Amino acid sequence: MARPARLQPYFWLLPALTLFCVFRLYPLLFGLFLSLHKWDGMAPMAFVGLANFREALFEDSLFWLSLSHNAIYAIGTVIGKNVLALALAVILNAELRGRAFFRTTLFMPVVMSLVVVGILWSWIYNYQFGLLNNLLQRIGLGNFQAAWLGSTHLSLYSLIIVDIWKFFGYHMVIYLAGLQAIPPVLYEAAVIDGAAAWRQFWHVTVPMLRAIMVVNVTIALMGAFNVFDLVYVMTRGGPNNSTNVVVLESYQQAFEFYKLGYGAAISIVLMLIVIALSLAQIRLMRGGRAEEYN
Amino acid sequence: MQTHQRFSPSSLLVVVLRYGILIGCTAIIGYPVLWMVLQSFKSTSEMYANLWGLPHALLLENYARAVQMGMTGYIVNSTVVAVGTVACILVGASLAAYAFSKFDFVGSRALFLMFIFTLIVPMQAMIIPLYTVLVSLHLTNTYLVLILPYAASGLPISIFLLRAFFDTIPHELEEAARIDGCSDFDAFWRVVLPISGPGLAAVAILQFVNAWNELVLALVAIRNPNLRTIPLGLQIFISDQVEWGPVFASLSMATIPVIIVYVLMQRHFIRGLTAGAIKG
Repeated sequence: MARPARLQPYFWLLPALTLFCVFRLYPLLFGLFLSLHKWDGMAPMAFVGLANFREALFEDSLFWLSLSHNAIYAIGTVIGKNVLALALAVILNAELRGRAFFRTTLFMPVVMSLVVVGILWSWIYNYQFGLLNNLLQRIGLGNFQAAWLGSTHLSLYSLIIVDIWKFFGYHMVIYLAGLQAIPPVLYEAAVIDGAAAWRQFWHVTVPMLRAIMVVNVTIALMGAFNVFDLVYVMTRGGPNNSTNVVVLESYQQAFEFYKLGYGAAISIVLMLIVIALSLAQIRLMRGGRAEEYN
Repeated sequence: MQTHQRFSPSSLLVVVLRYGILIGCTAIIGYPVLWMVLQSFKSTSEMYANLWGLPHALLLENYARAVQMGMTGYIVNSTVVAVGTVACILVGASLAAYAFSKFDFVGSRALFLMFIFTLIVPMQAMIIPLYTVLVSLHLTNTYLVLILPYAASGLPISIFLLRAFFDTIPHELEEAARIDGCSDFDAFWRVVLPISGPGLAAVAILQFVNAWNELVLALVAIRNPNLRTIPLGLQIFISDQVEWGPVFASLSMATIPVIIVYVLMQRHFIRGLTAGAIKG
């Protein structure tokens, strides 16, 4: 379709390319450069080789603690979002009264700001006045009242719930689009073969949704390792570092302790981990069917 | 195919279960948002005494306090930043996407892949070097300190979406325009853009919401209190004071416009937010 042209296309690309190079590509490369230096933002930079990376990987126990929190966060949110999203997408894919209303409401938190969601949920979790403890009291489960954000055992899980609450509608809509693309003939054939609803789900729906699942898991996984806003708003990594995550750690190193080189090095380690995990996960989930996607 | 089963007890159970799950989840999602708005109309004492119910009267005092605390300024700033970002992206991305879609040139594939590759690098991962770039360009006292980086980080997905959209426009349409003596740019401007409304709308809405809600860059780049955006302002409210009525009013003021736009333009919204994932 495309027409051969010589110089003209580059003019068309110029505005986008300029913005992209100055504010995206250059900072990316400059981050690599920065990670090899010690810098407080004011004094001249001092080249330190890989010392920042050595410090992060071998000397900084807080980095590893934060990373372990990201890992738990990833397991919780990836499973929670995908199970809920798929279940509701399957339900919503059937003929249903009020379908548009349900879909609209379930997707609503996706368009809200994470700061708003974080503040709102801080209130819901509030020990004395929050909705959650009040609800437990009212339905006779007063024993289960807890300091949802104040306890080092619960805080991380409380954040995971909020993250699922905010984003599962997003994954649900993606699954819905996937479900609608499955040819009805396949279900008709399954019915003729006498397959019950549950078997139809496992033998038709799940295999046909495989590519969509890979996408949903990848997006949720990347989100979990890059989480910042919710943690910053709701707990600032506390109590006692129980919700500290890697992006927050890198932010604090750079903008609170003025170790910009070290902060940049942490970001780069995280970026490499995220890329490696996403690729591994895509490989794994595509399984023996890789040829289909090339 | 289901009619003969409709009244059997097991299918009745399925229907009950289905609606039960659906209504339960919808309540868990919808009620907190509704509650946030309800709380914003209650006085401080009523907020504690009447935690769950409707407000006894529509008290507007919290909103007046929120405005006093600077909420209107934050809304103006967020609007300027989001509109500026969307404008930059629509110009940059539609030109670039058109070039990728319709012209064959050296480096086309490599440049396109370069844009797409950075989709996996979120803003958080490069916030420190980005900050130093913004400082050295002396942008920190202007709206551009947010607009330009937001535009740059929104470009790749927008180019991706618009390219897919332009690919579906039949080539004959522009060919006809050219035979009538139009230049390439005229064909783009007069023929292609006017029929690209849905694609442009999806991109614009997605990027508007991203810019409206972004926190990390605003947190590190905005030092001037007059430039604070809504997320930054809200963040400062809750660390400064514990008066919750005005906070709920501010949360509602930040959220209600987005929800109204979302409900009115739902289809564009969902397409913008999910098309990248589905096509990718």
